[in-house]
Amino acid sequence: MRRTVLTALALAGTAVLLGTGPAFAGGATTPSPVPSAAAPTPGPAESAVPSPAPAEPTRGQSGSRPAKSAEPTRAPAGDQVSVVPSGAPDTGVTEGSSDSGAGGTAVGAGAAAVLALGGGTFVVVRRRRATGA
Amino acid sequence: MTAFSRRAFTTAALASLLTACGGQGTKGTASDSGTSAPQPRSPHRTVPAAGARPLARSVPVRLQVPAIGVDTPVIRLGLAPDGTVRVPPVTADDRAGWYRHSPTPGQTGPSVILGHVTVGKYGDGVFRRLAELHRGDRIVARLENGAAAEFAVTAVRTVPRTRFPADDVYGNVDRPELRLITCGGARTGDGYADNVIVFAALSGAESPTPGER
Repeated sequence: MRRTVLTALALAGTAVLLGTGPAFAGGATTPSPVPSAAAPTPGPAESAVPSPAPAEPTRGQSGSRPAKSAEPTRAPAGDQVSVVPSGAPDTGVTEGSSDSGAGGTAVGAGAAAVLALGGGTFVVVRRRRATGA
Repeated sequence: MTAFSRRAFTTAALASLLTACGGQGTKGTASDSGTSAPQPRSPHRTVPAAGARPLARSVPVRLQVPAIGVDTPVIRLGLAPDGTVRVPPVTADDRAGWYRHSPTPGQTGPSVILGHVTVGKYGDGVFRRLAELHRGDRIVARLENGAAAEFAVTAVRTVPRTRFPADDVYGNVDRPELRLITCGGARTGDGYADNVIVFAALSGAESPTPGER
């Protein structure tokens, strides 16, 4: 019976350690507040001071609007929004890798608790065996 | 080892396992998607004035949304090389940004202002509570020339980012309107699944004070 209990504890500890693998893999990288690929990086041109308009990429919106070749100084009469951006704005930067790091920490703490419990059980059982209790 | 001890060890082991495995699931909170119905609320409300007169062009320098405690400087945003709209920089002092290819607030057309819902390790963004707005809530855009354009919320929508309603947001309108945009909904890896879009219409204006331009 003791062996059964100890075996179950060992298996549980092993399972938890295996489960921490993916979490630690995510947390191994240095957390970055700015997703490198998903979020567009803020442009250096953004400032509160008006500046001469730089040329911006010429593009159309799914063929529904004519492409603009230069930055307009004011909205033309035809289109109030002179250049329609593509896609959806990415205005939410989560903690990303920091999140997985926090999750990994929690899992790691749980695994450590299981290991400590298993180790304590092993010591107690060994002592009881040694004393013949 | 007694039967009681065995049960105690087994229970403790199971509890530890549950604690360990539960650690990952506490972050993202689900949020509504689809159109949110405006609900009545008393403070900070204005009624959109029919036919409020458009204002002269002047870039916004400040945005105030009293109902959700927003009072932020406004920077200018253009386009990224991939054609998407730029967003404000991820900093501790998060600010809103006006899309400079849209009309200025108070001009006829949809003026577009964007802000973050969260800014990574810095926590909440300036538009963290945008989804809490309701029809009639007041928004004030203060302009560079000293004037202020006052808007009333007409709708708040939460839409999947994969189906962003570009026509509704950027399409021509025949009166001065405002769009406030941020992200929302469930977190997906390093971002969000949805966009929260507040639609508002001009309800009033303050003229520039003498001496200001």
